[in-house]
Amino acid sequence: MAIEKQQLEHLARLANLEFGGEELEKFKEGFEEMVAFCDGINHAVAGDTSSIRGVDSRTIDFEDLREDTAQPSLAAEKVLSNGQSSNGYFTVRRVVK
Amino acid sequence: MSGKIARFSAMLARGEVTSRQLTERYIARIQKLNPVLNAYVCTTFEEALIQADYADGLIKSGMAMPLTGIPMALKDNICTEGLPTTCCSKMLQGYRPCYSATVWERLKAQGAVLLGKTNMDEFAMGSASETSFFGAPKNPADISRVTGGSSGGSAAAVAADLAVYALGSDTGGSVRQPASFCGVVGFKPTYGAVSRYGLIAYASSLDQIGPLASSAEDAAIVYDAIRGSDVRDQTSLPSAGGPTPLECDISSLTVGVPQEFLGEGVAEEVKQAIGAAVCAFERAGAKVKKVTLPAFEVALPVYYIISCAEASSNLGRYDGIRYGFRAEQFGDIRDMVIKTRSAGFGNEVKRRIMLGTYVLSSGYFDAYYKKACLLRGRIRQEFARVFGECDILLTPTSPTTAFRLGQKPASSTAAYLADICTVPASIAGLPAVSVPCGIGEGGLPIGLQMIADRSRDDLVLACAHFFEGVAEVKTPLCREVQL
Repeated sequence: MAIEKQQLEHLARLANLEFGGEELEKFKEGFEEMVAFCDGINHAVAGDTSSIRGVDSRTIDFEDLREDTAQPSLAAEKVLSNGQSSNGYFTVRRVVK
Repeated sequence: MSGKIARFSAMLARGEVTSRQLTERYIARIQKLNPVLNAYVCTTFEEALIQADYADGLIKSGMAMPLTGIPMALKDNICTEGLPTTCCSKMLQGYRPCYSATVWERLKAQGAVLLGKTNMDEFAMGSASETSFFGAPKNPADISRVTGGSSGGSAAAVAADLAVYALGSDTGGSVRQPASFCGVVGFKPTYGAVSRYGLIAYASSLDQIGPLASSAEDAAIVYDAIRGSDVRDQTSLPSAGGPTPLECDISSLTVGVPQEFLGEGVAEEVKQAIGAAVCAFERAGAKVKKVTLPAFEVALPVYYIISCAEASSNLGRYDGIRYGFRAEQFGDIRDMVIKTRSAGFGNEVKRRIMLGTYVLSSGYFDAYYKKACLLRGRIRQEFARVFGECDILLTPTSPTTAFRLGQKPASSTAAYLADICTVPASIAGLPAVSVPCGIGEGGLPIGLQMIADRSRDDLVLACAHFFEGVAEVKTPLCREVQL
């Protein structure tokens, strides 16, 4: 399946990634192979979902979830220690000028 | 036949050796052999010796548990408070988590000794550990071969005796396939049997932590130490108390052999080794039955659609703000996130994020993600039908033995075929183990996979234990790693 360059650029924006011109061309070929590989779910027999009834594809039994009550949390200074921080906040370059 | 952990524990209890001496022996082996194998990406020798002294204190005061004082390793995607945890990615270079994974807390509570963190595919995405930012680990049976992946460093460390046991994580076969390639035991428990808290997420509905060890008995001891419910992981399951029993009456079992797992692409030497393993069960009185799992045909694409979809969401958290790598040159804050992610992730990770974004995007969601979820349900139903007829399934772990390092696959998706035998159990959340069952051409190990019904982890381990006793496969180490 051919994937348009514009479509890849759109996906990259959604994924917060960017590819240079040449890089995108190279990436496109491999990506098309991956999509073709995934099209394997359309296998004539095994991929026919018309007869699937009553299938529960959930992984979690929602009735088993605990009550949404506050639990002890991690110490703020420890959490901040892996990023650039100041005065108890993570810092990034000024957004509002 | 006693496993390595029980033997060392007995020696520690009798005072024939101390945990410090045992740890020093392992440190010396790592210092000598890790430059060859690249199994560890970070060593924690100073902390290990402190933990060993603490363990010796526990032993002296009569408070030893099964894993007290035993030197071990963790895959580099399992969080260890204050120690580097990088997922072998540039994105997490320098990251030191401020909390520990539940599995490591449980092992520490037993007095375990951590030697270091092991090599893996970047963010566990791969089947050869070659996508690691730190370079690929090498197979101790032949250092020109891959270890398998993604828990390749853990498998190599156990195979070369650079750790008594190690933990890995298995999303589509990442514990079992490297165990098969390196000639050790690799066990993926039932989904939820072991808490995933502190395991850096790849695909949350598939990820499961499991042990790599030199015997099924050792794998069971480690499993017993790490399993059980955890309030911090809502998918974790409660478990029965007491050790997993390893004895079972093989003659009362019906062994299923799924025909689809022995089709095209499976090497002749692998088919022969699996055939011999099936005969071993038959000789012990088990009834053998050929079974079919037609949905096997779609298992690989279903796996890649679901795992990449979940990965694209899970890896959205890497923005260069809270931890890890941050790009140096950028414009505004959005540009910082994009530049950070584009430079921090390797090619395979970017490919999977993009594929996951594609199958979840408007216009493609129903055709790919929704359909894959439906087919996941069918795969579960087929396993349920098969486990109505038999107790355990025997299959190859991998269609081939370990391939050459740097071998270029025929296409960008050809490498995914290495997972073809392991993904079905992952999709269905079933317990499965890989045990060495033969030695192929070039002295390369062959693995036998055993799959049981949900929560029958005990049966999987008991069958593995039985098979080890009758097969007695010894994986040779290559010349370069013999001391």
